[in-house]
Amino acid sequence: MKFNFKAALFRPVLKMAMERVGHGKLLGFTITKVARGQVDLTCPYDSKTVGNPLTGVVHGGIIVSLLDTCCGAAAMSAMGKPSVAPTMDLRLDYMHPATPNEPIFVSGTVYKTTSSVIFCRGMAWQQDENNPIAHCVATFMRLDLDRAQFSGVIKSGFKRLLSRATE
Amino acid sequence: MDDSAVESGIESHEQLRACLLAAREQDRPQLILDFIPYSGFIGAHAKVDEGDVLYWLEPRRSNIGNPSLPALHGGVIAGFLELSASVELLFGLRLNSMPKVVDFSLDYLRPGRLQALYASCKVLRQGKQLVNVSITAWQVDIELPVATARCHFLIN
Repeated sequence: MKFNFKAALFRPVLKMAMERVGHGKLLGFTITKVARGQVDLTCPYDSKTVGNPLTGVVHGGIIVSLLDTCCGAAAMSAMGKPSVAPTMDLRLDYMHPATPNEPIFVSGTVYKTTSSVIFCRGMAWQQDENNPIAHCVATFMRLDLDRAQFSGVIKSGFKRLLSRATE
Repeated sequence: MDDSAVESGIESHEQLRACLLAAREQDRPQLILDFIPYSGFIGAHAKVDEGDVLYWLEPRRSNIGNPSLPALHGGVIAGFLELSASVELLFGLRLNSMPKVVDFSLDYLRPGRLQALYASCKVLRQGKQLVNVSITAWQVDIELPVATARCHFLIN
């Protein structure tokens, strides 16, 4: 029961952390789906993000940012507890340029989780999901926040006790 | 690219050529960055430093990915490196059209702090159609890179 409560909280917390803070806020995307190991988002076209001023096509950096965010969120959703997932590496293949003035749809999926690494793939498309703009694979380190913080607290407490005992 | 996309463009080929010429004559790669709206979106800059081009990303709160550290967004680092590589081709290799990125691979080595991020590019191979560029990004010490990337571009 406790887990279900956490899962229910996860979606709004993730949306808040991704959509309203820092670069996520600047990109202006909306997270449309959060499931365990899968996150979808939609990003509107913005003329400020153009990479080729001759064609009005958005810069590849926007697509990397969206895929990195989406895969990172999917990695976090796969862990099921408060944790951070820094990106280790990311590879992106561009299939064709994005069409200007149209939103970009992005989906990130976790396909394997191990004790220390999370493997994800992501896809970005516009009109047709089967004709993607870009495809990416990304790996994330698995850092459980509570465990890391917990051990830190215990260590510092233990040190304090030791120093008191030796005084 | 199809014709409809070209027609919807904001700038013309002549404007791009004029911008590239001015940048090379004045030795100011920044002029090329100013031509690309995305560089203003993230705050990217470039200058010629001892014959090479040095790129840097100004620290901005809107480039943060993790606010609790705070650390730069991984996507911003990637976008900045990709942008630097394309400017390197336009400025250094004297290409006259926008290069098309085919693939991009990035290794994150250290978290990017909220301070200036520097990058330098190296063209490892230039063929008739394909160019391979290696990019390194660092903050305080060039020996302690934040990220390394490699990128393939198609050129005409």
